[in-house]
Amino acid sequence: MADTTFWDGSEQYLCDKELAQAFHIARTLGMPLLIEGEPGTGKTELPLQFAASQQTEMFVYPAGSKSTVEQFVAKFDHVKYLRDSQIEILNAQRNEKGLDTKLSTGGRDTENLSDYVAMGPAAKAFSTPNSVLLIDEIDKAPREFPNDLLYALSHRKFILPESGEVIETSEKDMPAIVITSNREQELPTAFKGRCIYHYIQFPDAEKMRLIVSKHHPQVSNKIVDASMDIFYQLRRIGLERSPTTRELLNWLRFIKTFTTQEALSKINSLDGLGTLIKTQADLERVQRQFGNASEQSFGTLN
Amino acid sequence: MFTTLPEAFKKFDLAVDVRALLLLQRAMDKGLVRTIGDLFNVLRTFIIKDPEHMGPYTKAFYAYFLDINIRPNDRLNDAILRSQTFEQWKETNFGRIEDDITPDEWVNRFLDQVHLTHYDIKEVLDGRELWDKDKGDLEDNPEGNKDEALNRPLDRMADYSDLTLEELMQRMEEVKEQQQSEHSGGSHWIGTGGISPYGHGGGAKDGIRVGGSGGGKMARKVLGDSNFFPVDLEAILNDNNIDAALASLKGIVEETAHEILDVKETIEKGLERGGLFIPEIKNETFDKLQVLLIIDNGGYSMHPYIKSVQTLFRKMKTRFAHDLETYYFHNTVYRQVFTDSQRRKSLPIERLLSKDPNYHVFFIGDAAMAPYELDRASLNTYSEIKEHFKKVAWLNPEPVRYWNGTLSTQIIKELLPMYPLTPKGIEQAVLEMNRKK
Repeated sequence: MADTTFWDGSEQYLCDKELAQAFHIARTLGMPLLIEGEPGTGKTELPLQFAASQQTEMFVYPAGSKSTVEQFVAKFDHVKYLRDSQIEILNAQRNEKGLDTKLSTGGRDTENLSDYVAMGPAAKAFSTPNSVLLIDEIDKAPREFPNDLLYALSHRKFILPESGEVIETSEKDMPAIVITSNREQELPTAFKGRCIYHYIQFPDAEKMRLIVSKHHPQVSNKIVDASMDIFYQLRRIGLERSPTTRELLNWLRFIKTFTTQEALSKINSLDGLGTLIKTQADLERVQRQFGNASEQSFGTLN
Repeated sequence: MFTTLPEAFKKFDLAVDVRALLLLQRAMDKGLVRTIGDLFNVLRTFIIKDPEHMGPYTKAFYAYFLDINIRPNDRLNDAILRSQTFEQWKETNFGRIEDDITPDEWVNRFLDQVHLTHYDIKEVLDGRELWDKDKGDLEDNPEGNKDEALNRPLDRMADYSDLTLEELMQRMEEVKEQQQSEHSGGSHWIGTGGISPYGHGGGAKDGIRVGGSGGGKMARKVLGDSNFFPVDLEAILNDNNIDAALASLKGIVEETAHEILDVKETIEKGLERGGLFIPEIKNETFDKLQVLLIIDNGGYSMHPYIKSVQTLFRKMKTRFAHDLETYYFHNTVYRQVFTDSQRRKSLPIERLLSKDPNYHVFFIGDAAMAPYELDRASLNTYSEIKEHFKKVAWLNPEPVRYWNGTLSTQIIKELLPMYPLTPKGIEQAVLEMNRKK
């Protein structure tokens, strides 16, 4: 029986309530969960943490511009197949000439095509009941990729063309499939229609505090207040690339190495700004607006 | 009853089909829908496919299931306070007691109930059990209270899991009445009153706020945030819909292809043939885009639009990186256009006409001028341009309804295909241009 109990986060991971529900709906209905949202809002974390806390097996497929369904499902190893069939011929020739030594095919049999199929994450996940399958950043993949998945998603079945093998899973044993996207390109409507959709909101201050306390429980409230204040100010001024949760957590990791007093002054002088701001234009803009400390560091540099 | 759902949601420009209804049925069979808050969340994951749908979805849901109509620019609070549903709910649940609760607080309570999910109830019940176990001696109301907590099964309160879609709506009405009769010491339907020992921020695990306020907060946030509404494609080009316009402009990108040896494919196919290698050829495609932009930057009437137009085409240039040339004119084109926005350096129209006829030509202007300005020379110029470049469009920032009020606009419209300077208009222009191959 597939694990369809309600799961809403673990010690390390604060799962947004709505996300937890969407995830639950997806697992109960045996449909993939498509998560979209700003970078750094913890899209990828969900399946990772879920797999970790449920101690189930996890398969990851990071999508990229060269992604193909072959890589995702299973690949037929033509090179090995060619090599082995050549070896067979060679062995036969050697046999004719009365040579005893044979070249080995490593236990593979050219008659048995499935020996040459290298399973991809999807095939592995579908043959492992109750596992977790993550397709990361599907928006980076070519447009055909999501379209090619349509059949597999609605029928819970992959067919390997070369060997004719069928990898199938029942609704019960269906792996929990999570797909993430940064919305860099629009996904096909037909694809979205086969997914449970959830858009992650950027966490508000209240939620952010909880997230921070999960990651850096030992940091004092004062520091968290001060840093979050700056963080949300930076987000509000409309930078090219606004800092996200990930950046705030990284910044705090740097800040917390100091004593409280030092840390507060570090925060106010925007020390370690590089962890928060990622483009030169933004950096200049922040320096213009928040002025003071950055100018000093300018002075010391020159 | 639910058969009207797709149609009702379509009025809000949401694509809902039978599949969503079937999914909903399946979700109900699996016990995912037990409260109206569940219904909101479950339907949302089926219907919303883009953050832009959230606003319309919230409105559609409130209108369809709660009969609360949110007008444009309405606050959710106002819409709720105005509604019959809220009045009824208040009366049913709390009678006519007028205490010092502010309207906003009433709305919060209402939203808490509307968006309460069975997960919330479960969490509270779990918490309650724990609480009862831990602090049984502190129980302030020993009789029945504990029983009530444990016997407050979801199915008596608000379990819709064994119902068909048709029955759900009816049941919702019944439950409302049921609440009235069971209104004793906090055994509400899905009421926050019934779980008051914990209240907000208390009893739930990890100190997370009890109740569906998350959903209510969400709904409120969604309505106030333009990110959750689709871009108005009929609005004159502005900073908000510039990306939508860009998307419609993409249509004019043309592809050219030339053939190269596909090494990878050759090897792979060769291997499949068992070592017989035959060269495989593939087409390598390049985007090709040639645009002439001719902008009216004279006079005040055009002033507000120039910035957004330029941003649009600059974005287009960086995005597709191709031939884009911009020229300027004042009111109408005579025998020359200008290469700088101050209109000091001129370019004779003949030079323009010597360019590749495959260029897409966009005129951008309000085409409004005194009748004498649009003389024979100018009209000839337009005809010649139209003759030479097959793909010509005039984008007019003035609202379409004013076009017929200006003589010069009418004349130019007869000569050149004219479209409003909106994402929709640009899309139409591009479609029309692509037809002329």
